[in-house]
Amino acid sequence: MPQADSPPTEQPHRFQKRGFSGEKAIKFFFASNAGLTIVILALIIIFLLKEGLGFFPGYQRELQVYRIAGLEFVDISRKNLTAHEQLTSVLNRAYYAEINGKCAHQMRRSQEASALFNAYTDQTGPTRDLVISNSQAEITPNPEMLAALRANFDKQKLKALASLPATPHLTANERRDLIESIRTRAIDSTDDPALVTALAEEFAAAREKQAEPLQAMRATIDTFEAAGSELSSLVSEMTESVTATKEKIQNADILEKDRKTLLAAAASAKDPAEREKLTTEAHASLADKPDVEGPIQVLLERRPDCIKTHAALQQAAAGIGSQLPAALSQPEAARLLKVARNTWPLFIADLAKTHEEINDWKHDTPVPLTTAISSFLTGKDWVTGGEWQDFYGILPLAIGSLMISIVALIIAIPSGIGAAVYVNQFASSREQALVKPVIEFIQAIPSVVLGFIGILVFGTVLRDLSMLDSLQWIPGFPIEERLNIFTAGCLLALMSIPTIFSLAEDAINNVPSAYAEASEALGASRVQTTFRVIIPAAFSGILAAILLGFGRVIGETMVVLLVAGNRIKIPDFTSGLGTFFQPAHTLTGIIAQELGEVPLGSVHYRALFVVGILLFTVVLAINATAHRFVNKMKH
Amino acid sequence: MFDPEKLIRKGLPKGHFKDLVVRSLLGGTTYFVVIIAALLFGKILIDGAPVLFKAEAPFVDFEFLTSKNQTLHVFDDAQGTRHQLPASEYSAYLAKHEGVPIHNEQTYSYSGGGIAGPIAGTALLTLGSMILALFFGVSAAIYLSEYAKQSPFIHAVRLAILNLAGIPSIVFGLFGFSVFVLAVPVITATPSDRSLLTLPLFIGDYVMSFQGWNSSLMAGCATLACMILPVIITASEESLRAVPQGFRDASLAMGATRWQTIRKCVLPFSLPGILTSSLLAITRVAGETAPIMFTAAVAAKDDLPWQGLKSPFDVLSSQVQALPYHIYTLAARIPSSEFTQRAQYGSVFVFLLLVATLSLGSMILRAKLRAKLKW
Repeated sequence: MPQADSPPTEQPHRFQKRGFSGEKAIKFFFASNAGLTIVILALIIIFLLKEGLGFFPGYQRELQVYRIAGLEFVDISRKNLTAHEQLTSVLNRAYYAEINGKCAHQMRRSQEASALFNAYTDQTGPTRDLVISNSQAEITPNPEMLAALRANFDKQKLKALASLPATPHLTANERRDLIESIRTRAIDSTDDPALVTALAEEFAAAREKQAEPLQAMRATIDTFEAAGSELSSLVSEMTESVTATKEKIQNADILEKDRKTLLAAAASAKDPAEREKLTTEAHASLADKPDVEGPIQVLLERRPDCIKTHAALQQAAAGIGSQLPAALSQPEAARLLKVARNTWPLFIADLAKTHEEINDWKHDTPVPLTTAISSFLTGKDWVTGGEWQDFYGILPLAIGSLMISIVALIIAIPSGIGAAVYVNQFASSREQALVKPVIEFIQAIPSVVLGFIGILVFGTVLRDLSMLDSLQWIPGFPIEERLNIFTAGCLLALMSIPTIFSLAEDAINNVPSAYAEASEALGASRVQTTFRVIIPAAFSGILAAILLGFGRVIGETMVVLLVAGNRIKIPDFTSGLGTFFQPAHTLTGIIAQELGEVPLGSVHYRALFVVGILLFTVVLAINATAHRFVNKMKH
Repeated sequence: MFDPEKLIRKGLPKGHFKDLVVRSLLGGTTYFVVIIAALLFGKILIDGAPVLFKAEAPFVDFEFLTSKNQTLHVFDDAQGTRHQLPASEYSAYLAKHEGVPIHNEQTYSYSGGGIAGPIAGTALLTLGSMILALFFGVSAAIYLSEYAKQSPFIHAVRLAILNLAGIPSIVFGLFGFSVFVLAVPVITATPSDRSLLTLPLFIGDYVMSFQGWNSSLMAGCATLACMILPVIITASEESLRAVPQGFRDASLAMGATRWQTIRKCVLPFSLPGILTSSLLAITRVAGETAPIMFTAAVAAKDDLPWQGLKSPFDVLSSQVQALPYHIYTLAARIPSSEFTQRAQYGSVFVFLLLVATLSLGSMILRAKLRAKLKW
């Protein structure tokens, strides 16, 4: 019987000291240190909530002021104005893409020639300026010094001429002539070399020629652009008045807060004289309720104006849509034209709805707390520190984080797991001894170093690659920004490969060897065993590895802060896969970037803590799922 | 006719080609990762090594490691010679050549001098946080491996460790900022306005005020220690558990108390393992930027951490420069040019060298440990 064998542990031996003993104290000391982890976790949660939860009431008040002061009313019109501006810009881009695309050859030649000349002037500029400024001095120049300066200039000139950029679109003769003209150039000459001017003229002529058949399109764009001017002036007029009202309300809010602080101080003051003084002070600072009704009525009187302007714009826009050319020959131009065509009906529909929106708008409907919460979670703008209105919508940040993670995982999952399978199943022990330490070393690299590599090395390499003619078929090439989602994703992939690799390798290693032996006994080859037996058996472990890699990627800060480009805007999805070459901002990056600059306790400060709470929750949920998979793995 | 030769399959086995393709594909991805890593470090090595090393003896340019970080001034003198001088030498130059005009002057922040300040700051931060984390972490690990039985408390501790390990470093930054910078208690005679709570101590004017330590070395160390704690606990528990149960049983059978057993028979054998895994933790602590951005680090500071203080304890309550934060500043805040590259690549190279040494050391120690301790 096992019960009978076990010694009676409950009864202490009679020699043992009763009560409080040194041993117990030591045990208690160690236990309390273990409990420290719980305390830290609790402190993290409590303090994140303490700083963060005040955000929603604060944001609710800000949105209320936004409505009372009439800023929301102006934004109805402003939204359409912005849409109009964007549409104009898309059309303009299509127009110029068409023209430049048609004379791409001339454009490249001209650009290359001036790039070559600029590279020369950039390098020799400082020494050249020295020579000129010293020879023009009123006092007679010191010939010795002048000679030294000239020699210096000549040295710099030779150096510059030796390292000129490549010009693949210029003929060898042209390049030789151009370099020759630079070499023989007078030191104080300010004219461009003949070839640069000639090519620029050639390009301008080609543009003019290509613009000829597109005159109708140009006229259409101009008419459309002009149609928005009335709305634009209306919006800027209204803006002035509502900003003034908002300022008044905000000042009153501040005074009211001060008064409450004074009253609280008065209530806790012990000395009656002191209390009396504070109370009178509080009453004295009682703010006059700012006059909101007056300005808002003035604003509301402009309703008919607004509606009329919108109707006019709608009429103009509807007519213009049909006048756009049916197709453009250059792919980029055709794409932009298609974008414009697709957004056109939406724009018209928005304009048509505006009429109702303007009439239905009321300045005295209260903003419920749920609006503050939902506009935080689903808001499309993160605008802070602006003069108009601060918005805290995390959608652009969340999308940025997500897209970067997608790029990182697309790269890291195959390479991490592939490497794990290879190292565990196929590699010789010598290969293992090479690959494992390298990957372990990648894991030890601090993220800020990876970010540095991204800015100074990888971003530049990627941009140079995207300029190559032979790679132009890749969507999004040539890239506009050196630092973008793709760059950040690649570096984060490098960062998460070790995590995925080591966890996946553990999972594969943990598959009982009997599985592989049984499979090989049945005559399966090594590859068959690996893919049909071992990987399925280790599948939940591999899934856990991927999830933990994802958790690491989404919580990473320094790489994305340095490399993602930090543009707070939802990427323009119309450019297809090229979207991944646009800059973005992330949940982690925004905290790192803005926490140092915000005033303590402000709504903005609290918003950053709410972003922190969100990150905390998301990462913990991912990790918890991963650990469930790991526990499932236990054979 | 029966031909036994026909039974032997000639040539390669069936599916060999497929095997080969799969193998080389997997091997290709593996070496792709290795090569990319090698390329990146090669680049840093090529651009960074000349800053730290030189051709003649003693081969190492200690000036970069031991001089303070300054603004770099680049200018031409009347002869057209280009000078690059850090701020202190620049003012000395101006004093020497008074009245002589200089041309084309440009300044580059953080690019002159060396990186003594950041190195000292990172060393102090790492030291402080590792002392804290090792003390609390090893104690907690001792409890988990030597005392703990299945209980709700242990379950909660393990859950907390698991969760702490997964929290993103920027959230630790927020936590450190709201707790150590703004909320922990200090004893002072003049509590600040934003104090959360003040408790009278009845000693003169002194009160205990929950107003935080401000951005300081202390706050940074505490934040980093919290971040690294789960790593230390897990690693230490593993090394403690690696000590065979027989050691404990033998010691207890001899009449030793549990504490004596731990002190004499468990800790000495697990200590090498604990220290080896702490080396890896050091690389992580030294490399983290996000948690110290708001709690300890400062971009520019004229003095080294221990200079210009009234009492030695002030070093704890002053801000420090830190190597990772310095690299962040160099990468993000100043445009790259030929004059800033020395500072940029030099700092990164020194930092990588440090990390590589530490992780290599931990790898070698671990291998030695495995060879030595076999029970």
